[in-house]
Amino acid sequence: MGLDDLLNLFVAAILLAGIYTAMSIGMTVIYGVMKMVNLAHAGFMMLGAYFALEMSQRLPIDPLITSVLAAPVFFLLGIATHRGMVRFVPVADEPTLPSLLLLFGLWLVLQNFGYAVWGADDRSIFTPLTMATFRFGGIVVPVIRLIVFGIALLSLVALHLSLQHTWFGRSVRALTQNREAGQLAGIDTGRTAMLAFGLGIAFTGLAGALLANLYSFTPDFGGSFMLRSFVITVLGGLESFSGVAIGAVIVALIETFSILVVPANYQHAISFILLVVVLLVLPGGIEGLLQRWRRLR
Amino acid sequence: MSAAPASRATSRTAYAVAALALLAFLAVPWVGISNNAIRLLLTTFLWVTTSLAWNLLGGVTGQVSFGFAVFYGLGAYTAGLSINGGITPYAAIPAGGAVAAFGSLLIGLPTFRLRGPYFAIATIGVNEAVRIVMSNLDITGGASGVRLLQAGRFSQAEHYYAALGVASLAFLVSWRVMHSPFGLALRAIREDQDAAADVGVHPFRLKLAVHALAACLTGVAGGVFAHYTAYIHPDGVFSFSTSTSILLMPVIGGLGTLSGPVIGAAVYSIVQEEMVVHFPQFHLLLYGALLILIMLFEPGGLAGLWRRLARRLRGGGP
Repeated sequence: MGLDDLLNLFVAAILLAGIYTAMSIGMTVIYGVMKMVNLAHAGFMMLGAYFALEMSQRLPIDPLITSVLAAPVFFLLGIATHRGMVRFVPVADEPTLPSLLLLFGLWLVLQNFGYAVWGADDRSIFTPLTMATFRFGGIVVPVIRLIVFGIALLSLVALHLSLQHTWFGRSVRALTQNREAGQLAGIDTGRTAMLAFGLGIAFTGLAGALLANLYSFTPDFGGSFMLRSFVITVLGGLESFSGVAIGAVIVALIETFSILVVPANYQHAISFILLVVVLLVLPGGIEGLLQRWRRLR
Repeated sequence: MSAAPASRATSRTAYAVAALALLAFLAVPWVGISNNAIRLLLTTFLWVTTSLAWNLLGGVTGQVSFGFAVFYGLGAYTAGLSINGGITPYAAIPAGGAVAAFGSLLIGLPTFRLRGPYFAIATIGVNEAVRIVMSNLDITGGASGVRLLQAGRFSQAEHYYAALGVASLAFLVSWRVMHSPFGLALRAIREDQDAAADVGVHPFRLKLAVHALAACLTGVAGGVFAHYTAYIHPDGVFSFSTSTSILLMPVIGGLGTLSGPVIGAAVYSIVQEEMVVHFPQFHLLLYGALLILIMLFEPGGLAGLWRRLARRLRGGGP
C-alpha cells in the first residue's frame, strides 16, 4: 500500500465527513433546543432520498440541484410534525422515554409508508455524473462526491450564519445552553422549538436527498446513517455545533480506514459497535475527554 | 400507574379468572378447533411471553430496550443447535434461556452504565452488531440459517403445550416479581434512580438481575419458536424488526401492568394474522400510528384505555 492509496482514502474520508456533518447537524439542533433524541431521523432521511428520486424522474434538471429543494420542503414537513405531535410531549432537561417512543413510532410509520408507496425494490439515481472522476496527481476524486461535499458545506455555512446573526439563531443557542435562563430572558420557546425542529428535519431531508445520489436505497434506508449520526453527535458533545464536524471527521476516518483491517462482512457492524463504544467510553464526547485529561494533569 | 397490591377480594377473582383461562387453554387441542387456530394461539403465547418479559425491564423498571431480539435469537439458536446435536428439546429449550440470560449479563454490564434513552439507543447498536456477527459465524450456519433435524419432533399439540407452559411461566414470574420487594425496588428505579439508590436500592445490580430474568424468558420463547418452525435464520430471529415487535406489544398493551402485555400480544398476533397476508406493510404502519397515539393520549396503553372506559361507564371520576 503506497502513499497514494493512503491519500486517496484520506480524501474519501474528508468528502464523506462533509455529508456526515450535514446529516448529523439536524439531530444536534433538535437535541440542543428540545432535548429530544430524534429516532425518526432515519425515516426523514429515507423520505429525502425518495424525494430526490421522484424529482429526478419528473424534472429534467440534474438531481443534485433538485436535491437542494429538499431543504425547504422538509423544513415545512418538520414544522408540520412539530405542530401535529411533537409539541404535545412535555419537554425536560434530559431526553425522556415518551419522546423517544413517539419519534420511534413516527419512524415506523414513515418507513412503512415508504414500503406502501415505493415498494421494497432497491432504487438508485444514475446520471452521467455518477461514474465521473477526475485526477489530481495520484488522487482520484469522484466528481459527484465533491459536489455533494460542496452542497453540504454551503448548507452548513448558511446554518452557521443564521445561528450567529439572527434572533432565531440567538434563541436557539440560548436555549441550547440554558433553557430556563432563555425563558427568563423572554424567548418564545414554543416558536423556537418549532423552527428548530423544522430546521433539523430540513437538514435531515437534505442529507437523505444528497446521499441518494451516492448510494442505492430502499424504505429501510437511513437506519445505519441514523446510528452514525448518534455516534457523531455524542462524539461532538451532543449539543455543540462545531463538535459535530469533528465527530463526523472521526467517524468518516474510522469507517474509511477500517477497510484496511476489518473483513468486508463485518464492515456494516462498525458503526453499531462504534455507537456502543462511544456511548460507554466517551459519553461527554471529545470535549469531555479533553476536560478529563486537563483535570488529570 | 396503578400497581398497588390488589385487595384480597379482587385477587381472589383474579386467581379464578387465571385458573379458568388456563383450563380453557389446556382443553383447546381436545375440542377439535382447526390447526390454524391452534397455530395462532401458539404464536400468541410466544408473544405473550416476550411481552411479559420485556415489560419486566421496560415497564416495571423503565429501561426501554430495542435489543430483545438478541435474546430471542440466542434462545432459538441454542435450542436449535442443541436439538440438532441430539439433545432432547426438554433440555435444549431451557438451555436457550440460560444462554440468553448469560448474554444479557454481557450486554448489561457495560450498557447499564447508561441511563434511560442512552441505554435505549445503545441497545439498537448492540442488536444490529449481534445480528451481523451471527450472520457471519460458521457455527450459526451464517446468513442461510439453520434447519432443525426431525429427530425428537413434537406433535402440534406438544408444541402448543410447550408455548402455553412458557407463557404461564412468564405470567407467574411477572406476578411474583410485581408483588415482591424486588418488584417494588424495580419500580423505585423507574420513578427515580437516584432517590432509589439513596434509600438502599442498588440500581445497577437490580437492573442486571431483571435484565437476565427477562432475557431468560425471552430465550425460552425463542427456543420453543425454533423447535416449532424447524428453521431459523439471523435476519428473522435476530432482526431489528423482531426487537421492534417485542417492544411494541407491551407498550401498546400497557406498560408496568400484568394485563397490558397480554392484551398487547393478543391484539398484535391477531392483527398480524389478518394483515400480514394482504398488506404486510400496513401492519407496522398501523402499530407505529398506534404507538404515536398512545404516547400522546394514553400512556397507559390499551389496558389504561380500558380502565378509563370502565371508570366512565361506572359513572365514577374522570
